[in-house]
Parts: sequence; C-alpha cells; structure tokens
Amino acid sequence: MVATRRRNHGWLVWFTFVIGLLLSVAPMPQFMEILRPLWVALLLAFWCLQLPDKVGMVTAFALGLAEDVLYGTLLGHNALILTLTVFLVLSLAPRLRLFHMWQQCLTLFVVLGVMQLAQLWLSALTGNRQPTLALLLPAVVSALLWPWISYGLRGLRRRYNIN
Amino acid sequence: MRLSAREERTIKPLFSKGPSLGVRLLVLGVLAIALMVVDSRLDLLKPVRSQLSLVLMESYWITDLPGRTWQAVASQFGSRTELIAENEKLKTEALLLQGRLQKLAALTEQNVRLRELLNSSALVNEKVEVAELIGMDPNPFTQRILINKGERDGVFLGQPVLDARGLMGQVVELMPYTARVLLLTDSTHSIPVQVNRNGLRAIASGTGNPERLELRHVADTADIKEGDLLVSSGLGQRFPAGYPVATVKEVIHDPGQPFAIVRAVPTAALNRSRYVLLVFSDARTPEQRAADAAQAEEAAARAQQGQAAQPTQPAPTNGSHPAPAKPAETAKPAEVAKPATTGRPAAHPAQPATAHPAARPSPTGERH
Repeated sequence: MVATRRRNHGWLVWFTFVIGLLLSVAPMPQFMEILRPLWVALLLAFWCLQLPDKVGMVTAFALGLAEDVLYGTLLGHNALILTLTVFLVLSLAPRLRLFHMWQQCLTLFVVLGVMQLAQLWLSALTGNRQPTLALLLPAVVSALLWPWISYGLRGLRRRYNIN
Repeated sequence: MRLSAREERTIKPLFSKGPSLGVRLLVLGVLAIALMVVDSRLDLLKPVRSQLSLVLMESYWITDLPGRTWQAVASQFGSRTELIAENEKLKTEALLLQGRLQKLAALTEQNVRLRELLNSSALVNEKVEVAELIGMDPNPFTQRILINKGERDGVFLGQPVLDARGLMGQVVELMPYTARVLLLTDSTHSIPVQVNRNGLRAIASGTGNPERLELRHVADTADIKEGDLLVSSGLGQRFPAGYPVATVKEVIHDPGQPFAIVRAVPTAALNRSRYVLLVFSDARTPEQRAADAAQAEEAAARAQQGQAAQPTQPAPTNGSHPAPAKPAETAKPAEVAKPATTGRPAAHPAQPATAHPAARPSPTGERH
C-alpha cells in the first residue's frame, strides 16, 4: 500500500519542475524581467537536498537541455550551468541540512551567484556579452525566495509522502 | 532549520552507490561542452532541437494563456458603444488607407515606368504573411521574441520581420511551428539604413534598449538631423530596401569624439506589437525578375483599366503573376488589416501583395 502510494506521487517532483520551467518563461513586465528568480535552479536545489537519490546532476542536465531549447541558447549551455549548481549544492548538502534558514539563504545566494557568473562567462564565449553585473539580482531574489519555496515544498512532500 | 526526525529517517544513506560527485560533474560537464561545440559548429543537433521544441514551445503558449483569456473576456464584455466607436474608427482608417492606396498605385506605376526606362531589374514584389507573437525571450539582456510561424509555414533563417509601422528584426532560429526573431535593438544586431531625406547611408546598431538605436560612424559634418526618417537601404542583402526603420531622436556633436553620436527611435512598436508581418522576398534571378517586371507592368496597366470600374477590388491579374504564391496567401492581406488598428495607418507594406502585383512601397510612396 505504502509502496504504491509512493510510486503514485513521484510525478509531483516532475510536476514542480514543469511549473518551474513555465514560470521561467512566463511573460513579465520589462522592468521585472531582470529580477526573474532562477526557478529551475531553486527547485533543483530543494529536491536534490530532499531526494538525493532521485534528483541529481543527470536531472539537472536534462532540465538544462530543456531550458536551452526554450531560450534558444546552444544545447548544453544551461545544462552545464545547472549541473554545476547541483554539484555545488550536493557537495554542500551535509552542511546545508544543518544550517538555519538564513544560513541556507546565504549559502544559496553564493551558489546561485556562482551559477550566474558561469552564465556570464558562457554567454560571453558565445558572443552575447551582458554588460552589467545586474545578473546577480536574480540570485538575490532567488535566495530571498528560498525559505518560502523550502517550506512550501516540504509541506507538499510531507502531505503526499514523496520519497 | 533542522529537519524533523521523521524526515531524517527518510534521507537516504550519506554515501550512495555509483560514481562520486566529482566524476559525475566531469562526465556531464564534458558532455555539455561537447554538445555546445557540436551545436555551434555543426547542424547535427538541429533535428533533436526541433523535436524537443515541439513539446517545449507549448510552454510559451501556456504561459501566454492567462493574458489571452483576459483579452478574450475583455472583448466579449466590451460595451456596445466601444465596439461601435472602434468600428467607426476602423472604417475611417480603411477609407484613409484606400485613398492612400490609390495614390500609391499611381506612384508605383510611375516607379515601374521609371525603372523600365533605367533598365533596372530592382522591381521586387514582396509577399507578406501575418504571424502572432507568442512570447518574449525571458533573458532581459537580449531582445528576442517568439512568433507562431515556423519552418513548416515556410519561414526561413534571416527572414525580415515587420509590424505595421516598420522593420522589427529578423528570424534567427527556426523550429517546426515557431520561430525566434532577433529584434533590431538587440545589442548584437545592426542594420544598414539610409536617411530617407537625402540617401545618406549608415549602420544602425541595437543598444539593448527597446527604444533606442545608435548610428555608428556618422561623420560630424554629415547631413543628418533630428526627425529624419531612416529606411532600410537593402545593402546588407538581408532586409528589403525602403522599409522604415527608425526616426532620428538626437544628434550630438561632441568635439572630443571622432564621430557624431546619433540616437534614433525604432518606428516599429518593438515591445508592443502583437501581430508581425513576415516578408518573403523572392529568390529569382535578375533575368527572371526583369521578365516578370515586364509582365507586371502589363498587368499593372490592365489593373489600372480595371480599377476605373471597381476601385476597391484586388487586381484581377493576380493569378497570372509568376511569383510563387500559394492560393492561401492571396487571402492573407485581409488579416493584415487587423494588426493595422494601431491608430497610425501605415500598413501599406502589406498591401502590394494582392492589390498591386508590381508594387513595392518606394520611400517616396510612404511619405505623403
């Protein structure tokens, strides 16, 4: 009984990823575009902390490819960046699990900042140099969103017993 | 925040089986880099990408749904008086455009004859098709949009895209049913233009700001001033000549700078247009084009005779025109009239496709 229930709710993880992808292309006013949170990275960070044997770097790679197709970047661009992010999160995982929420936020800000810098380097390599350091703003916004996402998804996980 | 004891139990063993994190990062990283290199150099991954995009591009459509629904609801409950007012406005606009079209027909006639005299084969008959915007690029540092026409609709790479008021950009990525359009104002985009008033050539580069273009390397003494209309010069072999691109907003002469600083505002509503026009310029050889031009002139002459009888009808000779025209295309400009409801009547680039086989809106034709 429990086993079947578990199997039934594993799709919820993927559902959150689909929502994340949708949110990352949802139309926004021009001035808020620069603040768009890194939804997919946040979701990946949460799920790879919670279900490290289900969601990991391969998932990140696949989602990155999906982002590449959505954004029209070179295939592998976002895949590399998301894989790197998940790698950082996973290698910090034992510590992150013990941290207070504000410490987690801070750590995630650093991780996502590194991710955005990697983004900057890769887009510069492919000829699309972004002129400012404003690309760190999404990392700030995402770090601020982390507590809500974390509590919300943890509630979801407990409610549906996703394992 | 500590996890509760219940969750602690569900966490899997710390040392999971399989390769270590570093090895996995290395493998996936190398794979990603290999993918990027292959994707940038070869066309191998194009089918993969278009297959993926078939599913993924739906997400733009889905995220656009609320806005679309809202518009539909708003128009459903739009008051009667509003609709009547809009109807009146559209009628007036249609009348105005018809008037202009008549004038344009005469000018085109003249243009055709002059070109014949010059033995010029530059008579190009462009076809247009309407596409709808389905999404903006989420990256705030690029200026790209997605439209709902793709490879299967005959869209090709580098195809010019315009709206009712001017050039918007060009197609840079093709997917089966969608395409990505790089706007003029993207910081990686430049377009050869000329000043409509005196033919001065320049290159307009995007700045990343949707309301601003900059003219590069314009001499300090060049005859260019505020309010000049810049039209595409067609020299880049990519954009057709004669479409409005921007109006000059300011010209700054700084003695410390080698060139004048010229800023212009795109005439197209780059971040507001919902409907765009795709231009199909023809790929005929000059000889073919010359032959077609002769036929077109004949057709135009006949059309003029026919016009005296029924001025609002499309030219009856449309079918005989040799430009590759599917039957469906002839119906398209009826839709073109829709997006042109933006207040300023300027939809004439769309009109020549049916109304006048030999018509290309010449710069002179656009400025009455």
